Amino acid sequence: MRHNFLDRYSRLDSPIHRLPATAKLLGTLGLVITIVTVPMTCWACYAIAGLLLGIVAVLSRVPPSFILRRLLLLEPFVLGVSILSLLRPDGLVLFAALITKSTLCLLAMILLSNTTPFARILDLLRNIGMPAIIVTLLALMYRYLFVLIDEAERMHRARMSRTYEPRKGHWWKATATVISQLFIRSSERAERIYAAMLSRGWK
Amino acid sequence: MSQAVVVNNLRYTYPDGKEALRGISFTVHEGECVAVIGPNGSGKSTLLLHLNGILPASPSGNPDVALFGLPATTANLPIIRRSVGLLFQDPEDQLFCPTVFDDVAFGPQQFGGEEEAVRATVRSALERVGLAGFEQRSPHHLSSGEKRRVCLAGVLACQPRALVLDEPTSELDPRGKRELTALLAGFSATKIIATHDLELVVRLCPRTILLDAGRIIADAPTLQLLSDEPLMVEHGLEKPHILLHKHPHGEHGLDRKPHHP
Repeated sequence: MRHNFLDRYSRLDSPIHRLPATAKLLGTLGLVITIVTVPMTCWACYAIAGLLLGIVAVLSRVPPSFILRRLLLLEPFVLGVSILSLLRPDGLVLFAALITKSTLCLLAMILLSNTTPFARILDLLRNIGMPAIIVTLLALMYRYLFVLIDEAERMHRARMSRTYEPRKGHWWKATATVISQLFIRSSERAERIYAAMLSRGWK
Repeated sequence: MSQAVVVNNLRYTYPDGKEALRGISFTVHEGECVAVIGPNGSGKSTLLLHLNGILPASPSGNPDVALFGLPATTANLPIIRRSVGLLFQDPEDQLFCPTVFDDVAFGPQQFGGEEEAVRATVRSALERVGLAGFEQRSPHHLSSGEKRRVCLAGVLACQPRALVLDEPTSELDPRGKRELTALLAGFSATKIIATHDLELVVRLCPRTILLDAGRIIADAPTLQLLSDEPLMVEHGLEKPHILLHKHPHGEHGLDRKPHHP
């Protein structure tokens, strides 16, 4: 099935992909921290950061349409958070700044995850002293995200194959069932994974 | 011959009240290859989980099971888990690391190996299962057969004295089954295999234990047990085709080597 929707371009070959992972991770982190901490109305800062990310995006040969679609997918979450700022007196400026900041940070992260294989990022985090438990959690999350997607897709197909006349109310009910089933199956799988880890000496 | 596995009147009830094992006793000697067969829900997987100390999850462990002379008490579990390699039914459960290398290296790293030694162990384990050079691949990009073999490499890398395999050939195509059977035949370790693949049983295991509803129904030489058609059918199984047809080139085709490229 489709296992490549998250970081399908992380194994391309380009000047950016060939950069050492350390440089990319630290660069991204630095950029994100800078974007978050610059004053709200420093539009020039945003423009420079945007330009920088644009150059990286072009050099990395990751298709712009892919980056845009990823951004659009994540934008609702950004909107959901920043919409609250509209309630404040100077809301509009704050709103625009928040959207810009978040979008730039997301762009940086999308570029990082599509120019560096995730396993390399994990190695790096381990090397720079990230607590082992967090690295393990990240590794497990990345690994089972794909299994979970497959499982959801199989359940969805099985449901569609027995859906004759899709109705709105029905759809909500069926989707809720899939989500709850997925939750139960995941917790059972977690038990089995833990058993598999124990059997190979996990302490 | 020394005893690899001794199970003495083993009982297990799941927390939801389902009685999975109702008094199981058997002994497996070192170097033996024993099949555990039985219908779905007969307790095969539950039994296997006891052979590695995964079940029961009680703090005291289980003194009814002894592996290589050590009772499966909590204090002995580190040694027992090292000497018994468990291959799980679903490769997705067993391959929990982001790369093949990390996964195969997981066991040796837990047991505290040097980095260079771990690297060499991983390379040789992958070679043994025919996947040399797969170190940097992601588990989710592998085929079912490859996943299964990476799981096996992960178990072999722990250098176990006994292999406990749960449905090793399920989800494999006929070629995958043949290859895995040939691979397993090459290992001299003690093997306990729970499976529905009766052809594999006939080819690999001289001895078979038939389990149903948490009890041992029969424990006998494989050809004798599997040829008993009424018994097999009564317990949800069948007499395997390999024993029904006399092959022109030898009895049951058994003296033919498994065919693989």
